[in-house]
Amino acid sequence: MSDLVLDKVSRWFGNVVAVNDVTMTIGPGVTGLLGPNGAGKTTLMAMMAGFLAPSSGTVTLDGEPVWRHTDAYRLIGLVPERELSFGYLTGRQFVRANADLHRLPDAAGATERILEVVDMVEPSARRIDTYSKGMRQRVKIAAALVHDPTVLLLDEPFNGVDPRQRMHLMDLLRRLGDDGCTVLFSSHILEEVERLARHIEVVVSGRHAASGDFGAIRRLMTDRPVRYSITSSDDRALAAVLIARPAVQSVNLRPQGGLEVQVSDLGTFAADLAPLTRSHGLTLFELSPSDESLESVFAYLVDR
Amino acid sequence: MSDRSGVIHDIGYRGYDGPREGTRSLVLSLYVTGLRHAFGLGRSGRSKVLPFLLLGLGTLPAVIVVGVVTFINFGSLPVSYAAYLSQIQMLVTLFAAAQAPVLVSRDLRHRSIVLYLARPLSPALFAVTRWASLASAILLFTVLPTLVLYVGGLLAGLDFGDETPIFLRSLALQVVLAAVLAGITGLISAWALRRGFAVVASIVVLIVVAGVVRIIQEICSYEDISTVGELAGLFSPWTLHNGLAVAWDAGGRAVVELHDAWPVVYLATALVVWAACVALLVRRFVKVGSR
Amino acid sequence: MNGTILKLAAQALLGRRRFWLLVALPLALIGLTVLIRALSSDPDAAWPMVSFLGFPLVLPLVAILAASSVLGPEVDDGSIVYLLAKPVSRHAVAISKWVVAWAATLVVGSLGVLVAALVAGGGSEAAGWLVAALVAGTTYSALFLALSAFTRHAVVVGLIFVLIWEGLAGGFLSGVAWLSIGQWGIQVGHAVSSELDAPVNLPWALLASLVVTVGGVWFAGDRLRSFALTGDE
Repeated sequence: MSDLVLDKVSRWFGNVVAVNDVTMTIGPGVTGLLGPNGAGKTTLMAMMAGFLAPSSGTVTLDGEPVWRHTDAYRLIGLVPERELSFGYLTGRQFVRANADLHRLPDAAGATERILEVVDMVEPSARRIDTYSKGMRQRVKIAAALVHDPTVLLLDEPFNGVDPRQRMHLMDLLRRLGDDGCTVLFSSHILEEVERLARHIEVVVSGRHAASGDFGAIRRLMTDRPVRYSITSSDDRALAAVLIARPAVQSVNLRPQGGLEVQVSDLGTFAADLAPLTRSHGLTLFELSPSDESLESVFAYLVDR
Repeated sequence: MSDRSGVIHDIGYRGYDGPREGTRSLVLSLYVTGLRHAFGLGRSGRSKVLPFLLLGLGTLPAVIVVGVVTFINFGSLPVSYAAYLSQIQMLVTLFAAAQAPVLVSRDLRHRSIVLYLARPLSPALFAVTRWASLASAILLFTVLPTLVLYVGGLLAGLDFGDETPIFLRSLALQVVLAAVLAGITGLISAWALRRGFAVVASIVVLIVVAGVVRIIQEICSYEDISTVGELAGLFSPWTLHNGLAVAWDAGGRAVVELHDAWPVVYLATALVVWAACVALLVRRFVKVGSR
Repeated sequence: MNGTILKLAAQALLGRRRFWLLVALPLALIGLTVLIRALSSDPDAAWPMVSFLGFPLVLPLVAILAASSVLGPEVDDGSIVYLLAKPVSRHAVAISKWVVAWAATLVVGSLGVLVAALVAGGGSEAAGWLVAALVAGTTYSALFLALSAFTRHAVVVGLIFVLIWEGLAGGFLSGVAWLSIGQWGIQVGHAVSSELDAPVNLPWALLASLVVTVGGVWFAGDRLRSFALTGDE
């Protein structure tokens, strides 16, 4: 059981701030690191893995700083996003080399066992440069897991992996988390995180935007002000009705017809709308959210 | 079900149906970009360091020579044009070797070449344009110091009528030299896509082979067997250049003087090597571009 | 030192096309020396192959290729993190990598110079060149390893050092000999055979070679200790 603790961590490159004053604790179980592209996920991961010095603040693993501390790698398994360029080795040779570098007492046994776990026994005799993207990914994960780390860091592990393998990998990570391993993986895809992690950390533009239970954050995200565009049988009449509701913050008549409505609370508004229009003898033709992208969700979390 | 139909809505994108520039301006803009990139212009500050450092090192001695000529009244340049170039051949070669991968390797290695070739530019034309950018860059690299020597020499009072023909002949030889150097380094960079590897391979082909040729020529002039020396000179663009420079009085110095029809053979060899390199370069681009 | 890193580095060096360039260089040197020896009536005609080509050009080129092959590509594309994310001292990684580059430089480069020298005439002069090539090969491989750990343009910087600094500047400015790895090697070789020049003095040559070798390997290890994994460019 290991805790990875980030305390007021910032990192800047020249005058670009990649990570801005992030404090978080990653404990046992599966944690998802969620954020749009360029949010600073890779930079955070690099600092957690000891491959980047924080410009300020500290990153510690069980109380010991990770930067310039090679013994920490007894506990850490790292799956970087970068491609594997050991194309001249076979999969087995590569995993075995990783086991040897950890000086495992039974390196050969550990290699075979972990190849089995990631379902790579059959192609492990082939050179890595003949592998598909998904196979490379699995070999990378095998290499990171061969020494039974208590902390596993994966940077965008599902990129380029086909759906069946993705399921398989998710099962594997979930099992590791249940066994008490601290698993942290980064992703920019909400659904991916949703399927795997109970606990999530959200970073946007280098800032720590949200953390906690996935469901709670998802709810916070849904309860944010939302814009809708509505078309109905009588837009002006509907506008008059809507503006009286407490959840509605603004109503605009769009020049091309229809309404643009901003509401503060999605839940009540959605529940109210249908009975309300019916009771006023109006007919709804169309109701659609006009800003339901992940980026707008993130933007909301940051601006709040 | 018959009512299942789809439609692509017009959301305001408009096709371009105005006048289009032809292949000529396409090639021209690719050529100019390539030429700028060879000197790191339009790229990061770091990639400007090497080309301009080499250019500075290659031009500085010319400035010093001009200074010397100004203060001490020589009747002619102590180091004339072609001889000067052979003195700085290491710098010219390093420039060619280091910048050829910049123009050639990247597109091939990252396979972005396919994107270029999806445009109305044939692989052959693309390859030739790349070669032309590189050759022009090398030519600029050699012209600058010789121009400094020429203009500086005239300002210091050298005779216009004496210097101009020598300078022009040297200029013509520089065109040949740049064409061949760009062909060889470009071809090597198209074959060895890792930059470091390509640079070392170019250095081996240009510097090490030139060193071998030079040693053989020294021995031949010592033993007085000129034919072998003349023959050996064919194997390096630098000895080709130096040999021709002496034969045609472009202000050069060479270990072995060319007799009889050898100058013609030298020029013919240079042209054959150039043509072969460009042809192979084109073949390589066609092959990689069609995979 | 670490056996696994050693093995991987050796595989990286031997398993690629560039290895053939590495061995082709000294083979060409030896072949040409044989040719000159056979064609020329002057018994000393082939010596320039050693003193102008083999030692000052082929040896450092072999060292550049070897050092950049064991470290360059991995640092370049970041895949060295797989080796560094291990409870292995980074200095041990650097030393292991250097041992491979060093062995390759000596076996391919210095041995090539020796064979060329034996063909060219042998005798104590050949022994002198062997010693010079062993000393300079050792120092070159450490310097170029440090460069490979420091910059992605290690090959070009290394070539500038060898061709421009040691070559051009060394030709015009004799003081450069004091800061030239090749000249230090020649000085040590001079102690074995007086046929070689004595551009500096022996204690300086030995001390400077030692300092650059140890310092170069240590610096490479220190750079690896601070190796940072950043996004793509």
